Amino acid sequence: MTALVPGTNDYGRIAHLLAISLFLLVLPRYAVRADSGPQVQLDVSKAGPRAVESMTERGVFRDYRFAWTSLTEALESNSLAPLDGPFVGTAKGWLTQAVRKQRQNGLSSRYLSQNHKVEAVFYAPEGDVMELHDTAEYQLQLLDGSKVIHDENEVMHYVVLMTPAADRWVVRQLQAVQRF
Amino acid sequence: MACPAVPCLAQVAGLRPPASVAAGTETSISTTGSGKATFYLAGPSTSTKREVSLGEDVPLPPADVQSAGRYVAVICSQTCQSAAFYVTAAKPSTLSFLVHPSRVPVGQSDAVSGVALPFDRFRNLVVDPVTIDFHWTAGPAPLMSRPMRTRDGVAWFRASSGKSAGALEVAASLNDLSAHRVVRQVASDPCHLRIKGQRTAKGLVVETEPVHDCTGNPVPDGTIVTFTATEAKGKSTVDAPIKQGIARAQIAASGPTVISVASGIVMGNELRVEAQR
Repeated sequence: MTALVPGTNDYGRIAHLLAISLFLLVLPRYAVRADSGPQVQLDVSKAGPRAVESMTERGVFRDYRFAWTSLTEALESNSLAPLDGPFVGTAKGWLTQAVRKQRQNGLSSRYLSQNHKVEAVFYAPEGDVMELHDTAEYQLQLLDGSKVIHDENEVMHYVVLMTPAADRWVVRQLQAVQRF
Repeated sequence: MACPAVPCLAQVAGLRPPASVAAGTETSISTTGSGKATFYLAGPSTSTKREVSLGEDVPLPPADVQSAGRYVAVICSQTCQSAAFYVTAAKPSTLSFLVHPSRVPVGQSDAVSGVALPFDRFRNLVVDPVTIDFHWTAGPAPLMSRPMRTRDGVAWFRASSGKSAGALEVAASLNDLSAHRVVRQVASDPCHLRIKGQRTAKGLVVETEPVHDCTGNPVPDGTIVTFTATEAKGKSTVDAPIKQGIARAQIAASGPTVISVASGIVMGNELRVEAQR
């Protein structure tokens, strides 16, 4: 006959498993908090005329966040490589020029503590372009060599056009405006 | 504003940028004080550094302010001071116009859609509202026209396809700018499929009458028509493409046979053929 009442060792094992489960439950949340990259919240509830499906929402979220990670790295290290992939068209052209001019003049920029509240405001009927409004808060530092010449916490409004590429969404236009 | 390394102020009296500038327009930033200083300008596609004299205006050539967005001007002598200003898009000079699909069956509701985005000559999106006129033309005759106001730099439409096969030209225009796209309208599903047939030495030859859709457009060659022959010993099926408006098939059948025809979800008439004598 099989014992239905757990013995002392079984209680120990259960407690051990519970402890591991709790640790695993807590771990991802901690990892997100510890991440120093851009924080992004995306709301697609008002997008139209086409509804944004959940797979698309996840893709846009992932790729827009990655675009800001890449932009930050490019402008801080004056490297063009991070711009390959997440940016195309006008957005890539502008950022490439900015990096080249920074490098030429010995300047750099740091985008710190980024928090992006992003709203999808337009999704084309055939799904070939999406417009986002990003209310971004960050600390912008401009440096001449290692000397900080400007340091400011900013609230910015970006109009963003993203288009689908072969395996990701890419930023085609990233344009700051005074207000939406 | 936090300034850990050097003292700085956001909108200081000594550095007065323009309130707003249209992209590609020459402008200047006024400064106060005396002596030499280093002037920096950081914008969406620019990052410059140069020596200036305090108390004089710092000219910003059109090339420095071509990209719409926020610019930060910084001036450093013993301390640094900064001020920000916005560059807005200039007047529209191109229209990006996306139209889908490139080929559409006639008589489909909301089957054609288009999106138009106005840009200035520096590829800045013009976010201020403008009115874009959409026009639809089939052959020499204008079909429809619809003005749409852009919202957040975008105007779009959805429309039904027409009744006649042929080219549908869709145009978006804004003042003297226009962009044209062509949508090929093709016949829809076949309608009123009718067949006739006759016995030959090798069996039965069946063919359709010229195949049209419900509005009378000839169905394109290559569309598959399925003939099914049912006789006492069983059923056989032949797929035949339409060639020059007609689908034709040869069926090996010797006894009394019933031939039916279908294309897609459309069924045609039945043909009863007597046994071979």
